[in-house]
Amino acid sequence: MSRAAFPRQDQRTLADDGNELRFCSTCAFSQACMDEGMDKASLGDLHVLVEHVGPFHAGEYIFREGDPFEAIAAVRAGTVKTSVVDRDGHEHVLGFHLPGEVIGLNAIDGDRYPCDAVALDTVMLCRFSFPKISVLATRLPGLQRQLFRLLSRDIGRAALLAGDWSADQRMAAFLLGVSRRLAARGFSPNRFQLTMPRTDIANYLRLAPETVSRVLRRFQEEGLLRVERRELELLDRDALDALAAPVLRD
Amino acid sequence: MESQSIAFNTELLRRYDRPGPRYTSYPTAPQFHSGFGEKQLREVAASSNGDPIPRRLSLYVHVPFCESPCFYCGCNRIITRDKARGEAYLARLYREIALTADLFDRDREAIQLHFGGGTPNFLSPAQLGEVVETLRSHFRFSDARDRDVSIELDPRFVDADDIAALARIGFNRASFGVQDFDPAVQQAVNRIQSVEQTRAVVEACRANGFRSVNVDLIYGLPSQNGDGFARTLDIVADMRPDRVAVYGYAHMPHLFKPQKQLDDTLLPSGETKLALLQLAIEKLTAAGYLYIGMDHFALPDDELALAQARGGLHRNFMGYTTHADSDLVGLGVSAISHIGDSFSQNPRDLPSWQAALDEGRLPVFRGMRLDADDVLRADLIQQLMCQGEIPVAALERRHGIDFADYFATSLERLAPLVEDGLARIEPGRIVVTSRGRLLLRNIAMCFDRYLDQSAAIATPRFSRAI
Repeated sequence: MSRAAFPRQDQRTLADDGNELRFCSTCAFSQACMDEGMDKASLGDLHVLVEHVGPFHAGEYIFREGDPFEAIAAVRAGTVKTSVVDRDGHEHVLGFHLPGEVIGLNAIDGDRYPCDAVALDTVMLCRFSFPKISVLATRLPGLQRQLFRLLSRDIGRAALLAGDWSADQRMAAFLLGVSRRLAARGFSPNRFQLTMPRTDIANYLRLAPETVSRVLRRFQEEGLLRVERRELELLDRDALDALAAPVLRD
Repeated sequence: MESQSIAFNTELLRRYDRPGPRYTSYPTAPQFHSGFGEKQLREVAASSNGDPIPRRLSLYVHVPFCESPCFYCGCNRIITRDKARGEAYLARLYREIALTADLFDRDREAIQLHFGGGTPNFLSPAQLGEVVETLRSHFRFSDARDRDVSIELDPRFVDADDIAALARIGFNRASFGVQDFDPAVQQAVNRIQSVEQTRAVVEACRANGFRSVNVDLIYGLPSQNGDGFARTLDIVADMRPDRVAVYGYAHMPHLFKPQKQLDDTLLPSGETKLALLQLAIEKLTAAGYLYIGMDHFALPDDELALAQARGGLHRNFMGYTTHADSDLVGLGVSAISHIGDSFSQNPRDLPSWQAALDEGRLPVFRGMRLDADDVLRADLIQQLMCQGEIPVAALERRHGIDFADYFATSLERLAPLVEDGLARIEPGRIVVTSRGRLLLRNIAMCFDRYLDQSAAIATPRFSRAI
């Protein structure tokens, strides 16, 4: 059987399989903790509370810029958009966070969240106190490594789109990025839903919304992919890879 | 679809002749509810703008007025000769156009515009031109070659000069109501319309470069018989419209009040009705028309027939269409919209529609959001009505289901139909046979989650299948 197309869940992608004693299979930290010999029960013993929150519905804020920073959270289901609003009231999309990814990492430097986080569809989160997990990280080198890894990945992703790339290259890199991230979580790499609206994709890629549609329509005519409403199917990965290679540096 | 042939089996048709929806939408209108209003319509429209490639728009304008009542009518219409009512209606319509156009991103092209009724040509060509201009100033009209601008016309109230004027405005498709040329039938239904009148406007359409002309016929009307209907079919085939629709008359006076004026003692028997249908199929296919599905026939070079051959045929409230992936925007009293995964409908009475617009509100009074199950079944029924098959493997892939498991109940309902040879189960698909082609509705009904099969028979809300 083929893998589920995001955001449809199946047994392999369901992030709701944890309990008092077991980590969810999608947990961003479970592997690091277990490598250190810490299971969920021993985390509890250290009073590192891991709480499941949600559902947040489309359009609901998870946190707002300026809210006091206490916790980071891993996405268990759905998509979270992070963005800032400039002085003129214009929104700038910073990123989209898919299942297994962590939001709030960019708040670590201060005591307030530096951006808004909004649910784009039905979102479930796993929230844990940052002060506590950082104390724990000083004791568990594996967990610290994992934290650094997540941080560096977050920074790297933001830098991807800063270069002088064409609309085609940006779009191909964006789609392949989403595809790889979903594949890593057990979802189908070639069929998925774009849960973010066109204006958000355009904003993130620094393109006009009409350009997003125009590029996708051309990709579709050239047989690179197929779009049906929000559903996307990547048909010619080689061609997309070639387009995206300079952006993704691989 | 299996081949163009239709097997006509009287015994079978009689057995399956029971009320059922025509599936111009799934779910059907009785499922719409008042919990869906302006707020929900704004949400679904905003969401449809968010698609990576937002769909193009199909615009429908309803003109509810008729100068004279046809007694068979089941449409939403108002009988009047007062042309001032048209002006008052247009003033509100323009308000609705402005409010509605604001819902959609500016780069979403309109690929189709259709005027239905009532009688759209209750409005003069000048008024219709003004409506088109108003729409053009609020929506971006596509320059694509297949852009359709179509209108339903009553040949009794339109002439060759009007047709030329409509062509200048940009109309390129027309549909004419004929029903039957038999004088006895015309008298019984209160619609006297000569062959000459009809031929003149059909020819005017052709002379003015209309891309396609459709003629509507109805079987099952009072006083109708084989001889008269055969003559009508010969005359129509000779006029050579690109498309012919042959609708079964649905006598439901408890739902459609105008029908109470019909003398129901003159209605043909079920037996005669079937014979009339058979006659239509034989005559039209012999004249070179292809059976498209449900009640529709088309010449082999018509775009509907071509679209069906390449699997690009679709069905919506306007009937069959080649414009697959568009959001349908209904304007005017009683009009239905299909935006994203939603249906919505304007008030069916003029005062409510007017009141909403006078208060600056979008005049939606009911509708529904489709859930994943609705979307799946709508996809299935669409394929069935347009391509004459259920693409099992493709549906499993598109919707992430196991077909046999998901549709276990439906397949149980389908089993006797398969036994009767209406459909054939093949690996990866279910195909409608030539015996089943006239009974597409019955096959679709097996997959309708909302249809309480026994209740539908007791108090018919839908017309009979034949």
